[in-house]
Amino acid sequence: MKGSIRFSDVSKIFRWRGPRSRHETLKGAFFHRRTRRSSSAQHVALDGIDLEVRPGEAVALIGPNGSGKSTLLKLTGGILNPTSGTIEVDGRVTALIELGAGFHPEITGRENVVINGMLLGLGRREIEERMQEIIEFADIGSFIDQPVKIYSSGMYVRLGFAVAVATDPDVLLIDEVLAVGDEAFTRRCLDRLARMRQRGVTMVLVSHDLDLVTSFADRALYLSRGRIVAEGPADAVAARYRSDAAGDSGHDDQAPSAREVDGGQRWGNGDVKITGVEMLVGGKPARLVAGGSPSSLRIRYSVRRAVEDFVFGVAWHRSDGTQVSGHNTDLAGLVPRRLANSGEVCCDYDSLQLAPGDYLIDVAVHARNGLAYDYWCDALKVRVTSKVEWPGVWSPPHRWRSTGPEWE
Amino acid sequence: MTVLRLLWRHRALIAVLVKRDLDARYRASVLGFFWSLLNPLLLLAVYAVVFTYIFSPRFPGGDPYPLFLFSGLLPWLFFSGAVLDGSATLVDNGPLLAKVMCPPELFPAVTVLSHLIHHLLALPILLLAMVVSSTAGLLPFPWSFPLVAVALVPWLLTTGGAVFAISVLSVHYRDMRDLIGHLLNLLFFSSPIIYSLEGLQVPVMLHRVLTLNPLASLVTIYRDAVFAGRVSSPRLWLTAFAVGVLSWWLGTLIFAAYRETVVESV
Repeated sequence: MKGSIRFSDVSKIFRWRGPRSRHETLKGAFFHRRTRRSSSAQHVALDGIDLEVRPGEAVALIGPNGSGKSTLLKLTGGILNPTSGTIEVDGRVTALIELGAGFHPEITGRENVVINGMLLGLGRREIEERMQEIIEFADIGSFIDQPVKIYSSGMYVRLGFAVAVATDPDVLLIDEVLAVGDEAFTRRCLDRLARMRQRGVTMVLVSHDLDLVTSFADRALYLSRGRIVAEGPADAVAARYRSDAAGDSGHDDQAPSAREVDGGQRWGNGDVKITGVEMLVGGKPARLVAGGSPSSLRIRYSVRRAVEDFVFGVAWHRSDGTQVSGHNTDLAGLVPRRLANSGEVCCDYDSLQLAPGDYLIDVAVHARNGLAYDYWCDALKVRVTSKVEWPGVWSPPHRWRSTGPEWE
Repeated sequence: MTVLRLLWRHRALIAVLVKRDLDARYRASVLGFFWSLLNPLLLLAVYAVVFTYIFSPRFPGGDPYPLFLFSGLLPWLFFSGAVLDGSATLVDNGPLLAKVMCPPELFPAVTVLSHLIHHLLALPILLLAMVVSSTAGLLPFPWSFPLVAVALVPWLLTTGGAVFAISVLSVHYRDMRDLIGHLLNLLFFSSPIIYSLEGLQVPVMLHRVLTLNPLASLVTIYRDAVFAGRVSSPRLWLTAFAVGVLSWWLGTLIFAAYRETVVESV
């Protein structure tokens, strides 16, 4: 299956070759021959990792520095080879690590794009075809024909990102790259990544930004000292890591409010219970939605006592409390008859016309008079992305027409 | 063989990387390509003056000396230039290797090929010098000149092998580069570049040692073709090819032994 990753019992051991190490030089190698083997220190970066990532899945790797996250990513990308164990990765892999690191300063951006693209596995013609798209995304205009040495660091990174994502990978490996660059760039990257996810690209993300991790990934792996400490839904694993990190350092500035951890308040008599809420994009659960995408909200429920009076409702609001929208089955004119079996209710949105940002969704099932069976505040948090930072909450598709003014 | 197959598979990438190398080298200066000719020409001028006016060479068949020297110096500069650059190629491309999955073999190969192209660009100048000198009656035109294409094969193999070995060793032993500079110096003077082994008036022991230098046969077949205007003996050709194949085999073997740890070490 294209886009799948499988690690079985993978270990990676680095032999210590620091600049102060003894046999860094030929001289050292000759004169310290005897002590060589015995004294060569080892560092176990990964220890017996088993991992399986399905095509289209987004997995985040979290953990303290030096826990093996980046090593795992590099092993997946084939940049490093495992000391033991086997790794199978199917499909084209692109790694977003140190963007633009391979650019040669003396030659132009355009030529560097060709070389970088070919290194990433594209043919020459494929790159020429995508050149315009790359230049547009990198937003560097005529600088593309200037030597890369005169680029600002932002242009450098933008071009690096643009080439990497233009390769149409089946598997995308992302190492903290969203931490560099300005806000506008980060936003566009995130939007691009969201769109790639919706297309079914498998993603493995290394990040210290736990908000990003929870909005981006389906699943998270918590690594510490080369081993997997916890694995599971991104929220749960991120929460575990947060509490560990807070415990380690004694600071709790990283710790979120209780409300965020257990998904907010919830009440109701329990006749009907909401068992799961998911945002679906292209039929797959997602926390990251590119603005304007068709999507649906799926509510799963189980019935403890059959009821004849019921309304399913959804309320969207911003994290600052601003109401965005509320809709329910009653307002839509659906008349309830009987609710006896467990099942699911979907609210389909033709296009999610929301401005970029984080949205919290309350989900409820209640009687028409307001009696709550299950009312779940902040049941789901969704991040909407967009190329442009539209202010406000509504982001309708729009065009401008005019007769008077002249535009560039 | 597997190395050759691997290089062939990535030929398009190698081509753009070689182009990048040449572009970067020539573009950074106004004189561009001519700069790179200036270096051998200056070297040639120095040696020609020293050995024509200060020391007189004690061997037959070295006339006119500047041309004799030029025809020995050119392939040597290809070899030594590639080896010197080769000692830095993996380290320089370290960021790329750490970021993209690409076989490290590419970079030594690119170094060798860009120096080869460099060499090929200088060949017309050697040919021109021969045409002019023979028209002026200084020497008979060497009709064996086209044989240089064959003579370059062992040169390419030898250089390739040396660069493979040195590139990967320099990653693991950082003082390799200094050592290489000294070794190249030694090799230069022990190779028949500024002199010829034929009728050389030196002690027998020294002559024997000089003949054992693996580069001796390569220099000689090259110079026989482009300067002396004769076809070297089959034994000499065989030796040169044997040196080339051995060097390639050994170089790729050493590379293979260290290649796994290249990315971790750069």
